Amino acid sequence: MTDRTSNHEGALRETTSACGSVEPRAGAGDIDISLLEESLRLSPWERMLANDDALNFAESLRAAMERRNAKS
Amino acid sequence: MQNLSELLRRLIAAEVEFVLVDGFAAVAHGVTLVTRDVDICCRFTEANLTRIQKAFADLHPVHRSRPDLPLDLTPEQCASLKNLYLKTDLGVVDCLGEILGAGSFDEVAQHGVEVDLPGGKCRVLDLETLIRAKEAMGRDHDLAAVRQLRAIKERLERRNTQASG
Repeated sequence: MTDRTSNHEGALRETTSACGSVEPRAGAGDIDISLLEESLRLSPWERMLANDDALNFAESLRAAMERRNAKS
Repeated sequence: MQNLSELLRRLIAAEVEFVLVDGFAAVAHGVTLVTRDVDICCRFTEANLTRIQKAFADLHPVHRSRPDLPLDLTPEQCASLKNLYLKTDLGVVDCLGEILGAGSFDEVAQHGVEVDLPGGKCRVLDLETLIRAKEAMGRDHDLAAVRQLRAIKERLERRNTQASG
């Protein structure tokens, strides 16, 4: 249990090994591997904060579009 | 303004017994899809539910299905609740007694991995169980997350193989 836990904790702290190329490219199916690699370089907490930023940005964008649509 | 990270920090600070599951857990693992709420699997005891209530007390928590109903749990409610769906000033929190594909809180807790966050240690559902749970839910966005979770798992396994080889 301890081994598994520490192993996964390590996984959560994963930073991709300094793999050279991060050119945007499609991975399996619709996955953009470069975005995934970028995310994996962050700590779990940094990923959560990035989610909050993206969520708030999306909401402000949606509100702006609604205001625009209401005018037209 | 939504602040899911702050909601999580408060749960940790209030010593709520929980495991982070679903979308925000996927984000913690590295998934790039944006999630709109905090989902936790928690023990549905009066003591634990009271901790949740206290954690969000100043955030005007209401029952999501009844926004006119402020969160004011009674012992009777605590004894009968299976899930608790909350809306707060900082965002939505779903408290679940069990997880499809993963089981009851005790079963989910066995698959929680401890992660150090600025507010303290937080248990997050492990990759394999999260994949299983999201596959069981089977909605389009769950399956999109599963594809990323599998890619993350493969990368970690490859890295571990390289490290041991």
